[in-house]
Amino acid sequence: MSDEEKGKHIVERKYVDDSRIIEPEKLEIGGIDVSGHWGTLVLPRTIEDFDNSMLKKVKSMPRGKNIEKCWQCGNCTAICPVAHAHPEFNPRYLIHIVKMGYSAEVEKLKDTVYFCSGCGLCSSVCPKGVDPQGVMIAMSIAFKSKKGYR
Amino acid sequence: MSSLPVLVIGAGPAGLRAATDLAELNIPVVLVERRKELGGAPIRWKYHSLAPDFTPTEEVLGPMIKFCKNSSNIEVIEEAVVEGYGGSAGDFSVKIRKINGEVQDRKVAAIIVATGFEHFDATVDPRYSYGKAPNVIGINELEVMISEGKVVGHDGKIPKRVAFIFCVGSRDRSTNPWCCTVCCGVSIKQAIELKQLLNDVQIYMIYMDIRTIGLWEKLYWDSMEKYGINYIRGRVGEVFYTGEKLLVKGEDTLVRGPFEVLFDMVVLAVGIEPGEGTKQVASALKLKVNEFGFLAPKIPNIHFDSGKEGIFLAGTCVAPMSVEESIAEGSAAAMQAAKLVSRTKIIV
Amino acid sequence: MIEGNAVQLGKDEEIQLSKEDTKLFERLASERKAKLAMGTTEDYLKMLDKMRELEKKGEIIIHHVEEEYKPVGVRTLSGREKKIPTVELWQHKSCGQCGHIPGYISALYWIMAELGIPFVDDTNQTSCTAWNYYGSGASNSVALSAVFLRNMHVAWEKNAYPLIHCGTSYGDYKECRYLVVMNEDIRRRVRSILNKIGRDIVIPEELVHYSEWLHVMRQRIAERKKLDLSDVKAAVHPACHTYKLMAEDYTYDENILGGTRPAPTSSIILALGAKLVDYSTWYDCCGFGFRHILTEREIARSFAYFRKIRPVVKETGADVLVTHDTGCVTTLDKSQIVALAHGYKETIPVISDSQLSALAMGAHPFKVCQLQWHLADWKPFLEKMGIDWQKAQGEYKEYLEMIKKGGKPSFIRSPERTLSPRSEGMHDIKIAG
Repeated sequence: MSDEEKGKHIVERKYVDDSRIIEPEKLEIGGIDVSGHWGTLVLPRTIEDFDNSMLKKVKSMPRGKNIEKCWQCGNCTAICPVAHAHPEFNPRYLIHIVKMGYSAEVEKLKDTVYFCSGCGLCSSVCPKGVDPQGVMIAMSIAFKSKKGYR
Repeated sequence: MSSLPVLVIGAGPAGLRAATDLAELNIPVVLVERRKELGGAPIRWKYHSLAPDFTPTEEVLGPMIKFCKNSSNIEVIEEAVVEGYGGSAGDFSVKIRKINGEVQDRKVAAIIVATGFEHFDATVDPRYSYGKAPNVIGINELEVMISEGKVVGHDGKIPKRVAFIFCVGSRDRSTNPWCCTVCCGVSIKQAIELKQLLNDVQIYMIYMDIRTIGLWEKLYWDSMEKYGINYIRGRVGEVFYTGEKLLVKGEDTLVRGPFEVLFDMVVLAVGIEPGEGTKQVASALKLKVNEFGFLAPKIPNIHFDSGKEGIFLAGTCVAPMSVEESIAEGSAAAMQAAKLVSRTKIIV
Repeated sequence: MIEGNAVQLGKDEEIQLSKEDTKLFERLASERKAKLAMGTTEDYLKMLDKMRELEKKGEIIIHHVEEEYKPVGVRTLSGREKKIPTVELWQHKSCGQCGHIPGYISALYWIMAELGIPFVDDTNQTSCTAWNYYGSGASNSVALSAVFLRNMHVAWEKNAYPLIHCGTSYGDYKECRYLVVMNEDIRRRVRSILNKIGRDIVIPEELVHYSEWLHVMRQRIAERKKLDLSDVKAAVHPACHTYKLMAEDYTYDENILGGTRPAPTSSIILALGAKLVDYSTWYDCCGFGFRHILTEREIARSFAYFRKIRPVVKETGADVLVTHDTGCVTTLDKSQIVALAHGYKETIPVISDSQLSALAMGAHPFKVCQLQWHLADWKPFLEKMGIDWQKAQGEYKEYLEMIKKGGKPSFIRSPERTLSPRSEGMHDIKIAG
């Protein structure tokens, strides 16, 4: 079932992530058909663990090594020309979810890293020397490779 | 002619400094301490080191304690409280009661109040399960563990994942609304010490704002950059003991998402409250108390001035502050007392 | 300077609590440190004062918990003592209860009959209509208050004390009472409605939920216990509408989970000798929500399973989940079915505290407790309690056959009342035949 079709009967559908809806094509209880909205389940969105494997990958790369210096001030996003056009692209946020290891959130947003134009404005204003532009590059490599950068 | 002594109440960083300074000016001092040992909070709770530079507590307080014990100008009365006073500046009479019931009446020229603080009692706020769940401890208890060089859970196991919860009993209308000012720095200092002690421990700091004021900021930077300590902005709703681990419920406000993560140990950054000693001295000396229960100076910006001539305030009985500030306030109060004593001498 | 912890309780009473000699929950409540109270304790106590004032002025009648109701005192979150009547109770039934889980109510009646407690099962009761109110639906505060006071007047007329079964009614009534007492305009408008049907404003001194009645009766129920529950592990889901709405008026006890959870239901499990287990999502809603079951049933259903059922089973391995509200039993029980069809394995029977008490006292699992209406598998739980459910099922089938053949069904009847009605049911709807 496509993401668009899934859970379309949910009243406040737009607030529920596609990945959280489970709606099998066919579902039966004791011979009674409960396919469709009778059998839809919505998984909770609670963060249950920290997964630092992606952080390790990013940190292992030359331009990703400063990621842990980030203290989430948002200076990078404030100055980022792309962020003013694409609400989905937020370097501050990407750094945070990778750093903390919120893997579901990383999975959802990892393609947005390629919005980065590489202008480097962020790295010029970062008060902590995180080099966000470099971190974006490191992330784009880390998200692609399963084994990490070698 | 020798003058009347100055009474110093409380032998913590502020009181010790005040007594030391006065004695060095050749002014006699009576130093009254409620507890058995000198040193106040850093000694009582066995502070391993002091923020921001990990200076061993001994190095800061040791010389003052030694001086106060040995100086011929200082008379130390331990396990005693001041119960009442009369007279006026330059010529007070005070009643000092020892724990064994022995009472002595003394004449003193001035009084310095440095009665310090107590940590917030976290059992009062049940959401943290303090006192009910094992491995939920206060920063004061962790400090003792670090001093002993052994940080383990109740079952003797080394914790692998530790959460520090900031602002416990601080900045909360239902408990204490003020900021304790030092617990951010102290917690971060402990987190670094913990990381040095247990190499592969994962540490998460759950904070509302990081208030590492002034040069203490370096602690905050180092903890992130050198020790990989993680920071989550949010406030904890509940700590639940699952029978095995501690489930910490909160929100990472930067991702707008609730989290429920298991930890082996939870450290509560318990705040600073005006202690019993401060309460007692306030009623004994009829001192003004502010809405929070701290001693109220005449003008909030001039801490030493109690508003009563001849009675001076210093340290955390006035407001939450760090050890270095307490020491400076002790000196400031000593200067006021010395001025009074020198004036009195001239009159005499 | 603040002297000790002085607490103003009502107008004339003031108590002094020192930190050392007060128990935790009292301290929490009195110092307003309890998060549940949301800082409204003072307002609540003010409302109780105002109620007494209005009574003195003759504006309202208070239905007092007189000695003839044999009241027992409990402590509430506000630190105040609440009087729970134990006899001569007017059963304020719940709509969903009768429809979805009839065993809930019949178990409660059965317990009362067994203990010789007279009660009134009135046909002249209306729905509280709070369902609409929570569903962002058709009602308003004047209409809700009027329905509340109408029911309270009926109980007063019958000279029986209202015992509210439904958590939603209970919560709604607590809120309505607050509105009626504190707002003159609502009072005036409600009175004009009530006058039209020949009634007036009667406000009960205490609003009492049936779980509080079970709480105070727990020793007497435990004395009548016929089964050994020492092997049974039970978890509790406290119903939001009972203890989150006007939180300061629900029962707490220092000896029940340290006073950090509502006392009723947990207390009865302990009194019956079963093991009480705690779980991480105890504070969460059952999924029913305040309106969510109406507008977002997929989320309500999933919430019930993922946030309640799974944590309870995984964390505690409990045999039964006990709760004290209609919506909770229904949602927690019925929501498991879809998840099970998806292939999830965790499941647990959900029953009310009255059903658990009745089962322990030896009530018939089907004729009285009507477990046949419950979907989650209750067989292992009954076996653990030592109940031969196959035999009971056989008996129940025979009973049904007997009724089909024209036999007389059996009823649970109240023991004879000692109080007589204030008026001869002048407002009762006459049912033909």
